Amino acid sequence: MGTGIDWRQYRCEKFYDELFEAPGQPRPAARHLAEYLDDLSETELGERRLAAELAIRVMGITFTVYTEGKNVDRAWPFDIIPRTIPRTEWQRTEAGLKQRVQALNHFIQDIYGSQKIVKDKIFPANLLEESVNFRPQCVGMRPKNGIWAHICGSDLVRDGDGTLYVLEDNLRVPSGVSYMVENRLVTKRVFPEIFENMNILPVDDYPAQLYDTLAAMSPRPGEVPNIVLLTPGIYNSAYFEHCWLAQQMGIELVEGQDLSVGDDDCVYMRTIYGPQRVDVIYRRIDDLFLDPEAFNPDSMLGVRGVMRAWLKGKVALVNAPGAGVADDKVVYSFVPAMIRYYLGEDAILPNVPSYLCMDPKQRDYVLANLDKLVVKPANESGGYGMLIGPNSTKAQREQFRDLILANPRNYMAQPTLSLSTAPTLTEGGIEPRHLDLRPFILSRGDSTYVTTGGLTRVAMVKGSLVVNSSQGGGAKDTWIVDMEGTEASQAQSQSQSQSIGAEAA
Amino acid sequence: MLSRVADNLYWFGRYLQRAENTARIVNVHGHLIFDLPRQVEFGWLPLVQILGQEEAFRERYEGASSEAQIMRFLLLDEQNPASIICSLQNAREILRTIRECAPREVWERLNDLHYLLQEKGDKALTRSKRQDFLQQIIDGALLIYGMIGANMSTDVGYHFLRIGASIEQADMTTRIIDVRSSSLIKPKTAEDLAPFQNIQWMGVLRSLMAYQMFRRHVRGRVNGPNVLRFLLQNREFPRSVTYCLNSISQTLPRLPPDRPLQRTLDRCRALVMDADVDRLMLGGISEVMDEIQVGLANVHDGVSKAWFQAA
Repeated sequence: MGTGIDWRQYRCEKFYDELFEAPGQPRPAARHLAEYLDDLSETELGERRLAAELAIRVMGITFTVYTEGKNVDRAWPFDIIPRTIPRTEWQRTEAGLKQRVQALNHFIQDIYGSQKIVKDKIFPANLLEESVNFRPQCVGMRPKNGIWAHICGSDLVRDGDGTLYVLEDNLRVPSGVSYMVENRLVTKRVFPEIFENMNILPVDDYPAQLYDTLAAMSPRPGEVPNIVLLTPGIYNSAYFEHCWLAQQMGIELVEGQDLSVGDDDCVYMRTIYGPQRVDVIYRRIDDLFLDPEAFNPDSMLGVRGVMRAWLKGKVALVNAPGAGVADDKVVYSFVPAMIRYYLGEDAILPNVPSYLCMDPKQRDYVLANLDKLVVKPANESGGYGMLIGPNSTKAQREQFRDLILANPRNYMAQPTLSLSTAPTLTEGGIEPRHLDLRPFILSRGDSTYVTTGGLTRVAMVKGSLVVNSSQGGGAKDTWIVDMEGTEASQAQSQSQSQSIGAEAA
Repeated sequence: MLSRVADNLYWFGRYLQRAENTARIVNVHGHLIFDLPRQVEFGWLPLVQILGQEEAFRERYEGASSEAQIMRFLLLDEQNPASIICSLQNAREILRTIRECAPREVWERLNDLHYLLQEKGDKALTRSKRQDFLQQIIDGALLIYGMIGANMSTDVGYHFLRIGASIEQADMTTRIIDVRSSSLIKPKTAEDLAPFQNIQWMGVLRSLMAYQMFRRHVRGRVNGPNVLRFLLQNREFPRSVTYCLNSISQTLPRLPPDRPLQRTLDRCRALVMDADVDRLMLGGISEVMDEIQVGLANVHDGVSKAWFQAA
């Protein structure tokens, strides 16, 4: 028993806790961490937290909030206690994510192609007609290797019984990966000692992997590709990340005004040497702002003619326009069916059970249970426009009843999950807080890469389930812990070898 | 290199150099105060004049010219585009848009400086705290130059940054010469002036960290013509106007060629090298400095036309 945290006082019984089986009983992957923290006094822990805050400030890790006509950089809210996941569990999760994204890419290609899945009556035609993220401009297109969602950020949550569910897949412009890498750098500065004693898998490979993925999409193979990251500019909340990624990959960070499309339908950037051809655009701008010629004519952020260049195969757009058709929350409920249809496999990672309001039976169930369910619009992100049944007022439920009846296609509902928790340093000491996990998956056609863990987002407010940084969420470093060679796994392999020995005898 | 990014790197170099020079000028002016006797009419306003902000200052402070007000104006006034806080804020805003171009620690150190001004600036206005504070800003800026020199590839982006810094330094040097040599000390009579002439010209050198190097390069005593010659025409001292212009000239072959700019630059160099220093001492320093400043502005326009405004 150390002088520091008394884990027996850590009240984690109400939910599934990522680090503790019960008060005072760490899970195997978290044992070293718990012991290490145990030896830190309260003062030391406070000092480490200050050190983290300082590191974040000095490293300039920020996200941007735009208020009152001024863009303000807020320091990245970070909790110093990491979240641990055993490697064995992660390997399975990784396989499940790869499978899922593979099926999603098949689906998008099919939807903009022959629509076999609709003809085979697996996926209803009317869903497609009413999808706001379906882009008719993309019909008939086949991007290189049939990949549309090169970068996917899937949100995973764990329910009370420990099951890890996929909550949603972000296929348009998922963000957060820079914080995943930066979180680790901060933790290394704050708890340097612990990395010697634990086998924590590194996370900093992502930029190199992303660069390879982008380069593989170049329409001019064999030459060193010109890759750019297209940002909406400094007022975007993810601008920090845009800079960070461009810097880490050594590619140009461009704005719409830096690019133009020539008479030859190629994309060029304005440089001090004159125009230079661009091969791959990693765009962090939404579809509708991408090209005033093809989409929103008022967009100042995009590049006139870039869709034309893409459709003619002169430039690669990552992610491809129209990929968002598959990150609709209603389409989401068909992913297990897609996996079966395209890959002939069962989904490794389960979906959260979902009720689609377009189906009369399921709609009736939703309307009768509004106080128990979470109702989500199909196309909002960032946690906006949701009804959280158990926390709602009668008036809010009535409002949603009307909304659902007016536009059933646009709504789906899920049971309220009891999101898992992890110990978090708060004003009142260490307390459990709810969290989720966003891993990132890179697809290039010949291979798929999954980040080691991902970005753990934590709701810093007691009892809150909202983890978005725009709404008071914070983050934790995520450790995939390899326990091979540690006592726990030794005991296991010993008993295995004994039984093997017994057989041999 | 994107034209927009090159433009930004150029201005980053300028703003950083401007912040550092302003801090130096204020610091050295403070030192001079200790050396000069009371009967010598001594004002803080020349500092505002050096930066070409006299009009803006009079408008904002309605004719007042106390030390405290001028300090606030030069160090912390966000409405004064030449203040240290504005120069650093501009440099930071620019670096934010081109963060991927410069080594990461440059951003971290610039953030340090930003927070230093934000948090300690107010307390630093008093005479006793000021020196340390300004020295911290100067050191911070030099640390950033050092990091750029040691850790940034000398690619085209680096050259644009250096060109910006060189133009700014040349411009600052002419401004310091202009104001310091003509209006710093307003003697009541010629006899008043004589004992302090030496100190005055030493102050000019010190503003530019040039005293020691002057002593090494120039055998003669510290007097007007020697100092002017050193700061305008010396080829080895990094803050002399000729050195700055030569360094731009040496950089041009590494950038996409542009003849009009080369000609503009050559004209400006000739103007500086041909200046007859001994005759200038009899009058006309101000006019020649103005002429050089116009020449530098033309070089700036030439740079902008050659690379930043390209279609």
